[in-house]
Amino acid sequence: MAEDPKTPYEPRIVAFLCKWCSSAGSDLAGVSRIQYPANATPITVPCSGSVSPQYILTAFRKGADGVLVSGCHLGDCHYLEGNYLARRKLFLVKELLEFIGLEPERFRMSWVSAAEGAKFAQVITDFVADLRPLGPQDKLQGQRP
Amino acid sequence: MIDPEELRTRARDLLEGGQVRAVIGYRRGSRGWAAEPVVITRPEEAQDLVWDPSCVHNLALYLVQDRRRRGALRESTDRPIGILAKGCDARAIVVLMQENYVQRDEVYIIGLSCESSGMLDERKLAGAAEGIDPQALEAVDFEGDAFVLSSQHQQWRLPAAGVMAERCLECRNPCPKVHDTLLGKEPREQERRGTASAPTMSDPFAELQRFEQTADSAAARWDFWSRQFDRCIRCFACRSVCPMCYCEECMVDSISFTVTPDTTAQEKANRLRWIERSASRSDNIGYHLTRALHLAGRCIDCGECERVCPVRIPLRLLNTKMERESRERFGYEPGASVEVAALLASFRDDDPNDFIR
Repeated sequence: MAEDPKTPYEPRIVAFLCKWCSSAGSDLAGVSRIQYPANATPITVPCSGSVSPQYILTAFRKGADGVLVSGCHLGDCHYLEGNYLARRKLFLVKELLEFIGLEPERFRMSWVSAAEGAKFAQVITDFVADLRPLGPQDKLQGQRP
Repeated sequence: MIDPEELRTRARDLLEGGQVRAVIGYRRGSRGWAAEPVVITRPEEAQDLVWDPSCVHNLALYLVQDRRRRGALRESTDRPIGILAKGCDARAIVVLMQENYVQRDEVYIIGLSCESSGMLDERKLAGAAEGIDPQALEAVDFEGDAFVLSSQHQQWRLPAAGVMAERCLECRNPCPKVHDTLLGKEPREQERRGTASAPTMSDPFAELQRFEQTADSAAARWDFWSRQFDRCIRCFACRSVCPMCYCEECMVDSISFTVTPDTTAQEKANRLRWIERSASRSDNIGYHLTRALHLAGRCIDCGECERVCPVRIPLRLLNTKMERESRERFGYEPGASVEVAALLASFRDDDPNDFIR
């Protein structure tokens, strides 16, 4: 993924959004016409608890500059405890990525409900703002296209 | 310290009485002083068993292999298999039982307490003292807080703390908690720690702390780890030696995927390959991070992965990092009990939440 020197750097975010809350939240941000950066590629997953650490590693290894996992607020999980399990599992992923020297800003988690379109827009805006000064993520990225 | 004769008698009695169908233990290997794992099935073989500071191997691995072998041969058995277990090996067996991979009545655990000692680290031995040629050594033995090394003509007495494996220095439970019979005794805290001037043990996670103090920024840590991961040749020795890596199909290794006569070429081609087998930096990172995460809450710090690594990647750092986070943030101790729910299959209301927006 060669960067065109003429175009300014735009961070690319892979966002794993849970089907029940955050995905609906991003929908609400859209239908409410809230303006936010278009840097995130949303991937709808059944539950934040279904996000395997492998998804996150692979996103980084394929060149994502940031990865966001977003799910329902605690207690609101459609599967009752999926987001609690996600919180524990992805905490370890975050610690491990920081441990090997990836910038801590590159991996982020948020709880966004279906009614929080404005919060979703804010999460993405903040994330892009934090990623921009870091520049492209080239640590975990592979050589393959 | 445990008298090896006591161990042999115990194993012989178990085999003669038919209580166990075999005993997994250590015998003198073909390479001088170093012990090697062995499975004995006849009472007279019990005299080959040894117990000395070269018994580094985690024998729980052979429990996994025994289950695999019996599965492949569709062999049923009514008798347990006996296994010698140090504190760390016993913790590994507990994790296997917790995960229902091994049942409690399928194993007869002969616990061996390392007491106030531990296992010899061969890499530390080189250059530990003048005139010792590891190749010429014929035996190593425990002697209080020292190891006695003997070659044909000479004997050395080295303070154990200087040549002991790092994980043994950091060990919390040198005495197995779960066992059917126990040799040796639970060391008192005082004995373990030694004296202030001659400590026999370091703090838990001491090596991890040392690393974090020297590499205290993301850039420094990346500088360190990128060099480590670049060296990996993907020989999978760390996976092969790990008793927790018992999956038949390993997601990081496409040749382990099951192929039957019915598997079509299309199915083979379409198998999802998260991580390729090639030894590139990105794939190596994927491999080692995946392994560390799959071992989170399961790794009992036997240090075997680091010992067998031919390019000396400090793999224990990754695993102890996960272990320390689990302990400090989630109050979870791997291998402590068969009954508790696994780390990643349970949660508490007060798990860390401040990293989430």
